[in-house]
This record gives sequence, C-alpha cells and structure tokens, in this order.
Amino acid sequence: MGHVDRARAFVADADRTQWHDQALWFVRTKRDRAADRVPDWEALRQQAAAIKRNALGRLPELWTEFESNAVAAGAVVHWARDAREHNEIIAGLLHERGIERLVKSKSMLTEECGLNPFLEAQAIEVIDTDLGERIVQLRHEPPSHIVMPAIHLRRGEIGELFAKEMGSPPGLEDPAELTAVARRNLRKHFLSAEAGLTGVNFAIAETGSFVVVTNEGNADLGTALPNLHIASVGLEKILPRQGDLAPFLRLLARSATGQAITTYTSHFRGPRPASEGHSPTQANPALHIVIVDNGRSQLLAQPDFREALACIRCGACLNTCPVYRRSGGHSYEATIPGPIGSVLEPSRDPTRHAELPHACTLCGSCTEICPVQIPLHHQLLAWRGRLAEGGQHSRRRRWALYLVGTLFMWPPAYRFLGWSARAIARVFPSRLLEAALAPWTRGRALPAIPKRSFRTLYRDRHRQAAREADNGGREG
Amino acid sequence: MSDARETILARLASARPPTAPAPAAMAPPPNVLDPIETLREHLTEAGGSFQIAARGDWPNQIEWPEALSTMEHVYSTLADPETRGVGRTAVFDHELARLDLCVIRGEFAVVENGAVWHVPESARERSAALLAQHLVVVVEESQLVPTLHQAYDRIDLAKTTFGWFLCGPSKTADIEQSLVLGAHGPCTMSLVLTRDGPALSGTAR
Repeated sequence: MGHVDRARAFVADADRTQWHDQALWFVRTKRDRAADRVPDWEALRQQAAAIKRNALGRLPELWTEFESNAVAAGAVVHWARDAREHNEIIAGLLHERGIERLVKSKSMLTEECGLNPFLEAQAIEVIDTDLGERIVQLRHEPPSHIVMPAIHLRRGEIGELFAKEMGSPPGLEDPAELTAVARRNLRKHFLSAEAGLTGVNFAIAETGSFVVVTNEGNADLGTALPNLHIASVGLEKILPRQGDLAPFLRLLARSATGQAITTYTSHFRGPRPASEGHSPTQANPALHIVIVDNGRSQLLAQPDFREALACIRCGACLNTCPVYRRSGGHSYEATIPGPIGSVLEPSRDPTRHAELPHACTLCGSCTEICPVQIPLHHQLLAWRGRLAEGGQHSRRRRWALYLVGTLFMWPPAYRFLGWSARAIARVFPSRLLEAALAPWTRGRALPAIPKRSFRTLYRDRHRQAAREADNGGREG
Repeated sequence: MSDARETILARLASARPPTAPAPAAMAPPPNVLDPIETLREHLTEAGGSFQIAARGDWPNQIEWPEALSTMEHVYSTLADPETRGVGRTAVFDHELARLDLCVIRGEFAVVENGAVWHVPESARERSAALLAQHLVVVVEESQLVPTLHQAYDRIDLAKTTFGWFLCGPSKTADIEQSLVLGAHGPCTMSLVLTRDGPALSGTAR
C-alpha cells in the first residue's frame, strides 16, 4: 500500500481534511508573522546552516568533547549503534534500579527506536507526558505530526478517549476542561515518578550541556523530582559552542508554532544536585545520556542527503506542505512524516518508503521555509532518481515513468498526443472526460482546453516579435 | 558498550564530509525603539502578564493573580512576600504541589522574545517554580538584553548545572490547536520589572 492508498482513509472525511488543512495553514501564517518581526531572519537561517555544516564535518571531535565535559559534570554517557542498543541501555538502567514506570517527555528519537513497545514488553510502564503524545499513546497510534502529535484528532474524539481512560464525564469537549483532566491525571505520575526520560534539542560540545524546550513544562516536571534522568540524543544534535544556541533558539519556536520562544528552554549540565528535600526514591539524582546513531552516520556518508542532518525538528515543512496538510501524517506510515520525513525515511528503508519522495508536488515551499536551509525539494527529486536506479519503485510506477520518458524523448509522438488530446476534448462532453480522468478530476474541474498548443503559441509569438524588431530597425 | 563508542566514532570519521569553516558570530540586529513595550507585547502574547513597579514597594504595587493575603502556600526566594504554608513546612519537594504561589528573581530578561533567564539556587526552587499554581518573576529593569545573542554572552553554561529561560505560563494547544494556559506547570506567570520609584502609601495587599 502506498501513500496515496493510505491517504484515502483520511480524505474520506472531507470535514476533517478541510479542518486539518486550515489548522496547519494557520500555524504556517503564525510562523510568517513571527519571522517577519525578526529583521535579520535570512541572516539567521544562513548562520544556522553554516554552523551545522561546520559541525557535521567535526562530529567525532565534537562528540568526544561533549562526552568528556558531560562526564566531568557527573553525567554517565552511553553510546548506541542502533535502536535496539538504545532500548536495551534504557531498559538496563531501569531494571538495575527496580523501576517499573517511566515518565517520558516528547522525543521523536524514542519513537524512531520503538522504545515504548520495547519497555512495555519487559513490564515497564511508559507514561508519555506531552498532552498530544499522551492522547495518541492512549489511542495506540503514532504521532501524526512531530510538534503537534494529535493534530489529526477532533475534540469530540479526545473527550471520548478521556472519558474511557481518565474517567472524565462523557461528552466533555471543551479543550480547557479536557486539558485540566489530563493535568490532574498526569500530576500524579509526575509526583510519584522514579525516572524521567527526555529528548534533546541541542547538545553543546564545549560545556557538556544540553537544551530541552517545551511549552507544557513536562520535560522539566519529569526531571525535577525523580532520581534518574535519561536523555536520548541523536548524533545530529550537537553544536560546538554555547553561543551557537542563540541563532537556533531564535529560529526554532518561531518556525514551529510562530512563538518567539517556548515557555521553557531548559539547560541541563550534569545531574541535579542532591537535595535533602527529596523522598528516598528521589534523593540521589543521576543523569544518563544515550548518544544514538541508528542510521545517522550512514546518512552522513551520502553527499546528496547529508544536509538533512541539520534538521531541528521544527515541523515548518510539514505545516507548509500542500500534500501533508491534505493527507494527514499517518498516510506517510513513517516516524517522521512530511517533506523532511520523506527525505530521512528512505535512507533507513528504501523499499518500504519508496513512495514517499513522490508524495510531493516539488513546489519548493518546504525549502523556502526551512530554518536551516535544507534543500528539501531538491533532495526529494534526487531520491526519486536514486530509487528508480535502485529498482525500488513499484511496477506500476516503473511503467508509467518509462512511458512518459519515452514520450518526452520523442517530440513527434509528444506533439501527436497533444494534438489528439485537444481534438478529443473538443468532441467529448466534459462530464465524460472527467469520469475518464478520475481520480484527477475528483474535487477539481477540468480547465478549458485551448485550441492551440503552448508550442505553437510560443513559436508564433516569437516570430511576431522578430518581425516587429525587424520593422522597428528599418524605420529607425 | 565501549565497542559501540568506537564503532560510532569510526563510522563518523569515515563518513566525514568536507570541512566547512565555523562562521563568524553574527552582527546583532538593530535595537528596537521601545524595549519595554516590545517586552510587554511578547509576554502578553505568551499568555503572561507584565508589570512595572518600584523596587522597594513592588509587592504593594502589582496586581497579584489572587489577593496575596489569601494565598496560603507561598514559596518565595525574596524576603517579601515571605515563604509560608507548605512552602516553609514541606519535607519532600513533591509536597510543593500544593503551592499557590512561587516568587523568584530572574537574572535578566530578553526583549526580543519576553523570556527571563533564571538559575535556581536549589532543586527545591526549581520544583517550586514548576509546581506552584501562580509564578511571579522579578527582574531589575536595568537587566534587559536585546536578543538571545547578548543573553548567551552573559551566561556561562560551563558553570550552570541547571538554568532556564521562562516565558509565560505552562501551556498547550494539543487539542484542536486551541490555546490552554496551565498545562502541567503554573497557570499564570507574571513578569515584574522593578525600578527606582516612590512607595505607594496605604495600598491594601
């Protein structure tokens, strides 16, 4: 099943599709307003891209520098080659301490590694604490957006879910009341937690610090009380110096949600100091950092795609993408949907994700909006070529591409086809034509068919211009 | 696991892209004309409130989220208002969940986004700022920086176990993009800028 087939389920609900499209477009316009208020926005994008380019060329040095500084601050650093190693390290840390419940704040890396099912299979309960992530977790589905995990759901569905899972009164639909229900429910978990896991937005080599941003404060609550803080970080998240945080933090929230900054931007270095005010399960703080490769070094080796490692997971390319907005995140069947996901996921599994680079009109809006200047639509085009060469395309797509390719290479055939299409369009009633061209004409009208081709119009216009220039020359 | 470390470092070294120079620091953007007004705009947009008051008398001058005298449980790192209720008696930090109010002093505020830099002096101070219903952050008016660039010039992360920028109350828009204040942390957040000024006489608290 390809992206188109999976999107069919989503677009079957026209109201939802319309709402989804507009909600994300609204976020995109908020981003535009926020960016417009920053006079040096383009300089910021250039700066951020240049910092990442430099960092990607020095990863071994930067990570060892980070490691020694983090260890000096009292953290324990682990390295994981792949998802399995990452999950095993975390399960080991919890088992050693006899911990059976983990409060977790948002981390796309742990989604990618499948941490939740791994821990649950070992009888460790995982509580996602970001509201959107908690909602999709209780529904047993993956996030549909990297910043707004439950953007595909309507309030009624969330009310039903909370009534079932949190005992709220049935029929509750007000977002403020629903949030209050979740707040009460999750507070219990925060107060009794023995271990909290966070992702990492930025790691700083020169200090061994890392930064986590949230609006809800869940990463902070999840780490302020428990003994054990585990931070999972992908190899691409490193910045050389603390001053590098300035351009990235100026770009991140504005690109993601149109906020100038998130409510919480927390800088961790080493474990929390021990406090007498903590209960026994909370009195001996420890910080464990898990550095994860899981395919990132492989992406680094590919010149066409390595710039995608600069991604800061703001989600702006999702919000602006006309395909994402109208097909929903689940249609990508990938940890990260949208343009950036369609670049990253095929490098993990080209056969499984071969359709994703085609879920794109090459409009280029993602490239324009990306705060770190990843040439997304160029990379999507490059992927199409790579997948064709690798034979990963479906048979149907191979045939279609073969036919179109032949046609484009043989001008007389192309002209004949154009001529006959115009002739047929003049004779047949438009309704019949629309039926014949379905599904293209579903939801759009067929444009009026011109009598002459672009080619002849262009040729005549050119001739005319040449004649006029000629005349003008003689008269002058 | 040292195996994994060596493998990963070797993979990164063999995949190393051509070196690109580290860019020079950016020239900071032109300063805004009215920093106080810009700060107010950003804080209000973030769902917080913004007040200016006289240094010695600010607790009498500002508008509190609830009448100060009615808030039973208070944690304050300032002498006034004073810590009381569970803020004073808590043995374990998680008891601070009953706090009505937490008052802290921020080091400086960032004009371009409304954020305040705060380094808690203890783990308890950090928990209090997260668990209280209402958060009030006091900053000296002279301590404003235009953008995050100047902010990081003032910060030394190598010496900071934990520090954060705070901007507005805890919030979420995860249900239909509808903004709700008070997700997991404080439901209100107030930034108070203090400056030289006369005391108000006879103001009820």
